[in-house]
Amino acid sequence: MSGKQAEGGRRTADTAVPVVWRGAALLLLAAFSLLPSAIRAQSHVLIISGLGGEAKYTQSFAELSSRLATALHTRYAVPDSDVVWLGEDTVSKAPHFNGVSTKVNVARVVQRFAARARPAAQVVFVLIGHGAGEGAESRISIPGPDVTATDMLKYFAKFPTQRIAFLDLTSASGDMIGVLSGPNRVLITATKTALERNESVFARFFVDALTKDGADADKDGRVSLLEAFRYAATETKRLYDNASKMQTEHAQLDDDGDKVGTAEPTGTSGDGMLARRFFLDAGRYVARASSNDPRVAALYSERFALEEQIDSLRGRKKSMTPEAYDDELERLLVPLARKSKELRALEGRS
Amino acid sequence: MTSATARVGSLVRVTFALAVLLAGQGSALVAQRPAAAPKALNDISELIRSGKYAEAISALQKVPRFDSAWISAQRDLARTLSLTGKYDNAETVARQGSAASGGRELWNTLGEVLRERGKRAPAESAFVRAMADHASDSLTARLNVAILHFEAGDRARAMKEFDHFVDVYNASAATLTSREMMAVAIACRYLGADNPQLFKDALKAFDRASSLDGDDLDPRIALGELFLEKYNDSEAQGAFGGVLAANPSHPRALLGEAKRLIADGQPGTDSLLDRALQVNPEYVDGHVLRARGFLDIEDYASAQREVDRALAVNPASSSALAVAAAVRFVGGNKGAYETLRQRALALNPHDAEFYATMAEVAGHVRLYSVSADFAKQGVEADARSSGALSALGMNQLRLGRINEGKKSLDAAFAIDPYDVRVKNTLDLLDTFKNYDVIKTDRFNVMIEKDESALLSIYLADLTERAYSTFAKRYGYNPPPPIRIEVYRSHADFSVRTVGLAGLGALGVSFGTTLAFDSPAAKDAGPFNWGSTVWHELAHTFTLGMTANRVPRWLSEGISVYEEHFARPGWGADVSVGFVDALKAGKLVPVSKFNDGFMHPAYPEQVIFSYYQASLFCEFVTRDFGDKALLGMLQEYAAGKTTDEVFQKVLATDAKALDKRFDSYLRQRFAGPLAALTGDTADASRQGLPASALVGLANASPRNFRLQMMAGISTAEHGDTTAAIALFERARALFPEYGAANGPYGHLAHIYIAKKDLAKAADALQEIAVRDEADYGANVELARVREVLGDTARAAEALERSMYINPFEIAPHQHLADLYHVLGDKDRVVRERRAVVALSPVDRADAMYRLALAWHEAGDDKEARTSVLRALEDAPNYVPAQELLLAIVDGRKP
Repeated sequence: MSGKQAEGGRRTADTAVPVVWRGAALLLLAAFSLLPSAIRAQSHVLIISGLGGEAKYTQSFAELSSRLATALHTRYAVPDSDVVWLGEDTVSKAPHFNGVSTKVNVARVVQRFAARARPAAQVVFVLIGHGAGEGAESRISIPGPDVTATDMLKYFAKFPTQRIAFLDLTSASGDMIGVLSGPNRVLITATKTALERNESVFARFFVDALTKDGADADKDGRVSLLEAFRYAATETKRLYDNASKMQTEHAQLDDDGDKVGTAEPTGTSGDGMLARRFFLDAGRYVARASSNDPRVAALYSERFALEEQIDSLRGRKKSMTPEAYDDELERLLVPLARKSKELRALEGRS
Repeated sequence: MTSATARVGSLVRVTFALAVLLAGQGSALVAQRPAAAPKALNDISELIRSGKYAEAISALQKVPRFDSAWISAQRDLARTLSLTGKYDNAETVARQGSAASGGRELWNTLGEVLRERGKRAPAESAFVRAMADHASDSLTARLNVAILHFEAGDRARAMKEFDHFVDVYNASAATLTSREMMAVAIACRYLGADNPQLFKDALKAFDRASSLDGDDLDPRIALGELFLEKYNDSEAQGAFGGVLAANPSHPRALLGEAKRLIADGQPGTDSLLDRALQVNPEYVDGHVLRARGFLDIEDYASAQREVDRALAVNPASSSALAVAAAVRFVGGNKGAYETLRQRALALNPHDAEFYATMAEVAGHVRLYSVSADFAKQGVEADARSSGALSALGMNQLRLGRINEGKKSLDAAFAIDPYDVRVKNTLDLLDTFKNYDVIKTDRFNVMIEKDESALLSIYLADLTERAYSTFAKRYGYNPPPPIRIEVYRSHADFSVRTVGLAGLGALGVSFGTTLAFDSPAAKDAGPFNWGSTVWHELAHTFTLGMTANRVPRWLSEGISVYEEHFARPGWGADVSVGFVDALKAGKLVPVSKFNDGFMHPAYPEQVIFSYYQASLFCEFVTRDFGDKALLGMLQEYAAGKTTDEVFQKVLATDAKALDKRFDSYLRQRFAGPLAALTGDTADASRQGLPASALVGLANASPRNFRLQMMAGISTAEHGDTTAAIALFERARALFPEYGAANGPYGHLAHIYIAKKDLAKAADALQEIAVRDEADYGANVELARVREVLGDTARAAEALERSMYINPFEIAPHQHLADLYHVLGDKDRVVRERRAVVALSPVDRADAMYRLALAWHEAGDDKEARTSVLRALEDAPNYVPAQELLLAIVDGRKP
């Protein structure tokens, strides 16, 4: 649970946003202790796009990668220096393009991130392209030697305290979970097994989820990895259903370290709990929550407390009657709504 | 018991297992063979084998008595005479031969000829004599005795006798002749009723018999019949096809292939039956099958004529007696039915097949409850009759008694695991756990869980409205609950209806149990599921108020007629093909309406018949008054025949009505009939340049096809002004033609391109209200109407589209917005519920909008529930928070 990870988070937040109003220090501490840890993290993102093989795939992989890299900067405020895109093209002038996605270059970027990442930072690997291989030899096709699951495991080892998101949007990526699953890691694969080798459309919808409006299911103004996954999985299924085609890709998410992915993570138990709190936009939310205005900080504190209680209530839903659950839910939601309204007024957003 | 893995769907050839079934104890059999036939007799055999029966008979009659092959010739002669229906002559020949020296070879043949005429006792005596005299075909005679015992209801004795053939096989397999091997096969086929594995042995033995004598067609015919009985139609087709290639005149093979065509739903049965009866005009099974065909089209007089002819040949034929009884029963002559029943049961007190046939015929004429009762009597007569059990189970399901039906089918399957209808149906029943049952005041609607939330929103309202409408119109209230089953897979719907995949229909009404394709059943093609529900529910009323006596054609006609009343655009409409068929005299007259549904002469005739029957209803209402249709139904309810109904309600007879209705059609479609002149596809015109086509069109301005061809060509060349003139002319010639490829479709396309949206809307509107399944036209019409500022008619168009394809989220959102503008709060709620039911990615927003709709409709209880669901997913969703506060604070936002 996020409360268990609050200590590390607090330290990270201190470095991200200097506290200048000493009078509010205690309140801020209280607020931060209730902040979901994800919002305090600094993100380092490496996008690896692979060989297209055909012009349409080359173009598609580049387009998706470019769109994602741009959004990371513009929508999620991840500093340019922390967004690295390595791709097939050798001469691309696209923003955030940092060179060819050779294994050597990947290792170099990983080393750079490892050197810079704070202990509670989050490191995100995004793979876009054609996948191949099985088990530990699962890989993305890139110029020169491919990066395999075994290689990724070595890269992960360089981030012992950081939280990792591994977003493998390639075909035949399913076996990655069995190899890379572990604590403090969110793994998303476009397919369930290495045998699902057909062209994947999941990647497109996943990038859409992170770069367009529509995936923010809980309306908190942010898209978690769980929300992005569910959006992409739903739209992928809808695309196949509407075309009356048999679905040839079944995306999986694993974040409980059990080496088994889930196609429909709920975020309330098992897989999805970590992804639900994994956001790419570290900075902006923290800035808002660490306002200099003690009233704002207090309201955020109360709001976070209510959110935690709602979260807890949702976990107990099955053990309650629908009427009792709704009554309790309303008891929490009404003050939350009032506090949110107050906050919006104080922040001039109403 | 009913797990899918336990069921065998088709007969599979396996290693012949007789040898290991029973060991030892085989009675020794020494085949006694006749002396080798002279060459001349071999030639005659070839004549028989190739179906040149008259020549064969003539040649056989010329074989001199002193010829060493005379006895053999007499046997062939008797058999050939019997095969061609000359039973008296056959009997004479067999009797004379049996009295001659070496005559023991004729006893079995004599018995078989006598059996063909229903003379069971003398037949048995003849068979016994053949056995006693150790005739070469004494094993066949022994089989025939067992069959007689079986047919007389002495099942235990017969099965014991059949069992003997297993011993025979085990002791003498290597020395058995083809005919003897066939006797073993037939015995195994009977034994299969107790041990289905023996069907496989029967199959193998037929194969062996055939391989022992490649010239003998009988094993191959018997093989085909076994395949047919076990629903393996493709193998049956191969077997019968092979026989008919060698002998195109074999009555039994012709009959087998005719039955195979029926099983496969293919045309051509009549011509095969005609051929069989030409060869053997006294062919009992041929007449029985023909009678069944007449029963299917509810022509009871013809059915009776045919089956009576069969009974004249063989008064003891159990199949003929059963069909004769069925004809009397469905024709309302209960006394004659009872007499025939007594006759049948006197011959075989345990004749479950009699009741199974009764059940089947009753089911064909939609008397499902009666059918179930007959099947139950069949089970009581013989608890091991899989036919009676399966008929019972199928009809229980049709009556909505699902648990009882499953139990009956389980029992049937345990006895006959090859019945694919039973297997398919049990497999389907296993999936019922994946369905929700939604209960309304008068309906129980079973829908697959994946789509129940969506479809139930529409179905609840539609079904209740249909019930109220029909109850008022027909003064009849079917007993609730009416069960409706909605199938996401067309194959599942088909299995539910007939036990097999491949049914062409979209819906079926068994009275108070209905089934139809979900709009998600894409393999059914685009269709209007709303009108389908309406159609099937109309059947529930017409069937119910007439105790299922309404003829199929009238029930279908009224259902389509009711569709037309329900909403603009619903129900079949006129097409070019229909007018062509009318013009060519290819529509069936009123007196033959059922033929159009049950025995279509060409593929489109079924569709045309639905529309034509609805036109008949239109015609009756126009010429005989608003109450005439109701009056007809009431007379059918009173048990009147169609002729009597015509006389009493319409004061005319069928012949006069045929003429009058034909005049009505020709008057109603006078314009299109005149405009659809010339050929349907003049290849010579296809390649003509646009200018030439325009010239032809202008020279024949009353020719619809020429206007269309010229219009399409000019439009393709960019001359839209000329194209519009041509299409407008075509529209004036055949204004009722609303297909998208007709004038309206082309005009709409051109007007949209020219941004003349008012005219485009007019053209699209014509399609939308004439083609009930054109989703695209409705969506486009909604768009155009909205641009034109006509919100109400935009909503109308989108509303229609929901009954064609309700699975797109955006049109529901859009329709909700339109209804919001129009102030139709209930429908805003309905559309918002539909959006939620479609599991949108943005569920919180969908729930919030639904909550808002409820709130605005004044239902804050529902609004609270929905907004809590929205905030449960998205606790900080500001609009939902505001709504919650508004609800809690008791004020509107």
